[in-house]
Amino acid sequence: MAITVRIPTPLRTLTAGQETVQVEGKSVRDVVDSLESAHPGLKERLMDEKGVRRFVNLYVGDEDIRFLDGLETELKDGEEVSIVPAIAGGR
Amino acid sequence: MLTPGSTAKTDISTKRALIVGLGGLGCPAAMALARAGIGQLHICDDDQVAESNLHRQVLYDQDDVGRDKLDAAKPHLLALGAHEVILHRSRLLPENAQDLVRGHDIVIEGADNFATKFLAADACYLEHVPLVHGAAIRFIGTALLIKSDGAPCYRCLFEDLLSGAAAPSCDSAGVMGPVVGVVGALLADLALDALRGDWSRSGQIFNFDGKSLQLRAVPLRPRPSCSLCGTATQRPIRQISRALYVAP
Repeated sequence: MAITVRIPTPLRTLTAGQETVQVEGKSVRDVVDSLESAHPGLKERLMDEKGVRRFVNLYVGDEDIRFLDGLETELKDGEEVSIVPAIAGGR
Repeated sequence: MLTPGSTAKTDISTKRALIVGLGGLGCPAAMALARAGIGQLHICDDDQVAESNLHRQVLYDQDDVGRDKLDAAKPHLLALGAHEVILHRSRLLPENAQDLVRGHDIVIEGADNFATKFLAADACYLEHVPLVHGAAIRFIGTALLIKSDGAPCYRCLFEDLLSGAAAPSCDSAGVMGPVVGVVGALLADLALDALRGDWSRSGQIFNFDGKSLQLRAVPLRPRPSCSLCGTATQRPIRQISRALYVAP
């Protein structure tokens, strides 16, 4: 499945500045693996040994994957996956 | 302040707001609420104005360098239209958080650290006070309005504290002055929604990208296992303790 992934600004150093990238994947897990293949280092920013890092949220469309099937959430052709990281700052 | 579809102003002269932190986000948010004619504007901070602040903390100027932020800000906010400005010379701390937030019609937090963000979330939830969370780092910012019933909340999205290395703050990563200006104004905009009882933009995290100038809303859903507002959590947070705000 051709999936569009929206890359937040803090991670664009790993995607050569691209704010969206196209990868293949039948599930969110596949997409993360595809992202790593195309943009090494990205997976480590999203995942740890327990799964998706606590300060990162992955969305399929407008749905948080924690309310779907997590990393096993199946994807349809043309769907969009977004990465929403926690940030703190502004003083 | 205009209401949609009309030229009539909404009177907020009887409303109370607390702004946690009078830095890059707090300054424009405070100015916007003052100009809108807020009744009582409570501000809490314990910092002094530094020269490095001036490019983004727009309430202060060169003459204020070295002065207490609250003392420097108060006359400006009164001149802009706040009816009263009440100073709280402290950071938001576990020992004072609930007392500080209690009774306000809205709280805005633009804290630069996750401990304060989670503390504000917990205190406002326990005191049934609506809250606007804001953050900005490098070229990006976020804004999130939480209703007084507290769900979905900040912990629904980001669960718990992170270790220091896991997520950079603007101390290490920097922040662009105009970005905090835009995000600070957005925080005030969401706060004004709350003050007039408009919750249509609550429960969505607004992500502003200062490079592409895009603003995108990502909806939140209450998470049943959320330790703060969850309906199915084993050990809900029902009182504030210092241990909750120490990173693992």
